[in-house]
Amino acid sequence: MNSSDAGTTRRRRFDELVVVFHQDMYRYAAWLSRDRTVAEDVVQESLLRAWKSLDSLRDGAAAKHWLLTIVRRENARYFERRRLETVDVDNLTPSQEALLADQPDHELDDMRDAIYRLDDDYREPLVLQVLMGYSTNEIGELMGLKQGAVLTRLHRARSKLRNAMDSEMASGRSES
Amino acid sequence: MMNCEDYREAIGANPSYDGGEAHLSACTDCLAYRDEMRALDRAIGRALAISVPVLKTPDLPEVDTTGVVSLAERRRFRAPGWMAIAATLVLAAFVGIRMYGSNVTYPSLADEIVAHLDHEPYALRVTDKPVDDGRLAKVVPANIAHMNHDAGLITYAQTCVINGKKIPHLVIQGEQGPVTILLLPDEAIDDAVQIEGESISGVILPVGSGSVAIIGERNEELDTIQQNVVNSVAWST
Repeated sequence: MNSSDAGTTRRRRFDELVVVFHQDMYRYAAWLSRDRTVAEDVVQESLLRAWKSLDSLRDGAAAKHWLLTIVRRENARYFERRRLETVDVDNLTPSQEALLADQPDHELDDMRDAIYRLDDDYREPLVLQVLMGYSTNEIGELMGLKQGAVLTRLHRARSKLRNAMDSEMASGRSES
Repeated sequence: MMNCEDYREAIGANPSYDGGEAHLSACTDCLAYRDEMRALDRAIGRALAISVPVLKTPDLPEVDTTGVVSLAERRRFRAPGWMAIAATLVLAAFVGIRMYGSNVTYPSLADEIVAHLDHEPYALRVTDKPVDDGRLAKVVPANIAHMNHDAGLITYAQTCVINGKKIPHLVIQGEQGPVTILLLPDEAIDDAVQIEGESISGVILPVGSGSVAIIGERNEELDTIQQNVVNSVAWST
């Protein structure tokens, strides 16, 4: 195979990965950063990094995990460059509000708001399990946690969301 | 048989959990709780599935594919010219080393180190959470070495096997990403051995009667890290 053919094959392989996993990359980045604009930047950087190191991906079945790991690292780098600025959940920028205002629906808005307010430690494993279909073992591997810790965080995350939604319903009833 | 607390913990961690049938058949409260958690999970799933904007593919730089054969080939270290002789001597000393507990043979210590990085990819995560002192003391026991905190933020510590010997495998956070530190108290070398690859850059440094391997990302500035690490390590024997 000559250099041109190899380059074309490489580009085709990359494009296929992007088509299949772009949505997962974006949503993971958005819920990690809680900011749509940051998520777009993180995905762009992640795609660049993935392109440069595509040859290190030997097992096509591991592509999703490989790409999400890159997104996770790029997100951490992004906030590290900005000296760990944290999100003030009571004073959101338009880009942060855009995440919550997606597809307006009262019940979904409340749930998004509750997820948004979860600590990173609880929100991330929930996103990986519910949205990405990760097993608890896979979550533990990605986040560096033992399975027991993953199970505890998932359980607590759902408890917090359940309580938040119950509070929303209660306040809705008292207002009506 | 599970009790209510066990079952609710299991279903709360994973609503698609399908165990505990014996308990469910006798507990209508937990059955209702399961249905509630599954409904909650469907709502969580809908809330998380936000709309995705049209992809703007970044400008992709040209990548030289002519030399790309395999990861092992691509990452194999190569010594700069002026170090070639020293490196060759060092490499020769390690030819034929065997990975502890297996039949895998590496042509050099550097090759084994690079292969080891691939065995534990999780170690290379970006984080600001340090390992606790107890963990560090366990991985770097006093009878092997003393290490202070000047090396940097240590975010991973694991006892590993290199060249058939248990050694401390540490990761600190560099400017460009995680940096791997392998303390090799029994691997004496006369001169530094550079490790360079497409995506990694590092060095094996002689330190007293042993050596220390330091490997970071390709564009990591390792000079300061090397100095800090070497100054923070003292062999016990």
